Amino acid sequence: MINVKDTLVYKGLYYLKTETVGFLETLGNIGYDFARVLFYILRLRINFKAVIEQSSRFAVDSLPITLTIVGMTSIIISMQISPELAKQGAENYIGMLSALVMIRELAAIMSGFAIISMIGSSFASELASMSVSEQMSAMKVLRVNPVEYLVVPRFLSGVIMMPLVFIVSSFVGLLCAGYVAKWTADLSLLNYVDSIWRGLYVRDIMIALLKSAFFGGTIALISCSSGYNTKGGAKEVGEATTRAVVWSFLAIAVWDYIFAAMFYL
Amino acid sequence: MSIEVENLTKKFDNKKVLDNISFSVKDGETLGVVGFSGSGKSTLLKIISKLTEADSGNIKTTENSDIAMTFQYSALFDFLDVYHNIAFPLLERREFKGKYSKNELKEIVAQKLKIVGLQGIENKFPSELSGGMQKRVGFARAIVTNPKIILYDEPTAGLDPVSSTLIEDYINQLKKELNASCIVVTHQMSTITRACDNVILLYEGKIVFKGSIKEFLEGNNPYTRQFITASIEGPMEIKSTT
Repeated sequence: MINVKDTLVYKGLYYLKTETVGFLETLGNIGYDFARVLFYILRLRINFKAVIEQSSRFAVDSLPITLTIVGMTSIIISMQISPELAKQGAENYIGMLSALVMIRELAAIMSGFAIISMIGSSFASELASMSVSEQMSAMKVLRVNPVEYLVVPRFLSGVIMMPLVFIVSSFVGLLCAGYVAKWTADLSLLNYVDSIWRGLYVRDIMIALLKSAFFGGTIALISCSSGYNTKGGAKEVGEATTRAVVWSFLAIAVWDYIFAAMFYL
Repeated sequence: MSIEVENLTKKFDNKKVLDNISFSVKDGETLGVVGFSGSGKSTLLKIISKLTEADSGNIKTTENSDIAMTFQYSALFDFLDVYHNIAFPLLERREFKGKYSKNELKEIVAQKLKIVGLQGIENKFPSELSGGMQKRVGFARAIVTNPKIILYDEPTAGLDPVSSTLIEDYINQLKKELNASCIVVTHQMSTITRACDNVILLYEGKIVFKGSIKEFLEGNNPYTRQFITASIEGPMEIKSTT
């Protein structure tokens, strides 16, 4: 007689159930942790020294990799579009197009990806290690709230510093694209800058800054929540880090879609 | 009465980890909690320290008693040096924030380090300390607020015999200095005999022995006999899950 549990259908359904429960659990944890973070922020229970420490880590530590990724991407895009536009006699649009791509999309999303890999993964593994080595329990016994002490400063550092990272990476990205345009399409930097301002509006910059703040907060929150709620050992620390990275990537993509639909549709 | 535990019950996945546990610990007394792995010892400490909630039962402590706990693997904050680890509750707990000056804090930390015999290591990080030293720093951190209840989770596990003796001496010393009620969860016979006044033996979440250290060592309770002689034969069945 066939054992139902050995059938492919049963295994498939069981896998689906496990994944759904895991998904809902993670979503619930993130929501609950966000509510707790908001609670402490609204009651001004903020450790400003820790916010400054985490902000410096968020921005300074991530900047080299962020600038490299954004810079390289903008160089590649400029290498692709500049000669083509020059061939069509539309070199005066290179700056405008680069600025639109960079400010509206690339700088924020590429910085987000770089920060997920540099900072988000580090937040998640750090907090997960603390959880499995009972440091969180020790903190609770010492009557210091780990969410207030560890998560709130990291969340705020994400919200505050991500727009700054966006500004620097946008500037570097546009500069890189401008130099490539100069070499590949013989476009002077002056014309390039002039072209940027023809297509770019202050509204675009404001939306991008707001979007960056959302990205930063989301990355910090998901990473901290994933680490904070870890139980088990070394394997679970690894899983928490992976979960933080995957969920952050997904959340960034969803936020990007929401912002595009809200402001540019 | 410093700690009074009444009818404590805790289930995990319908399995009773603690089943109607009752005991009390007076001021200046140390209670040893022993039993096989998985018998509910650590869960008991987690409930008393409010890290976990019991399904039913009560824990009464002297009013406003600060509960301190030391952990099996010390649980020192690895991103902080020894000074900041010990001063942590005084720096970060809401009721202590800003209460002590920098010099006062330095003095308190130095005093607590002296109690555990570790002067002059304030600037070291946990990773630079041996296991025994980490435990002692954990003790210093636990007593920095002068608690009246101290819980020790496997304080001598993984230590060499000399370090274990040192830790057991510190448990006695801290109890005397603070007149605290202490609960020590341990597997080590030396810790039971040298640091505890009374003992309870847990088996499958139930107390199968409760008495003084003398009764524990010399009595005829089949459970304690099996535990002391480390015998496979006896009323306590060793399960594959333990």
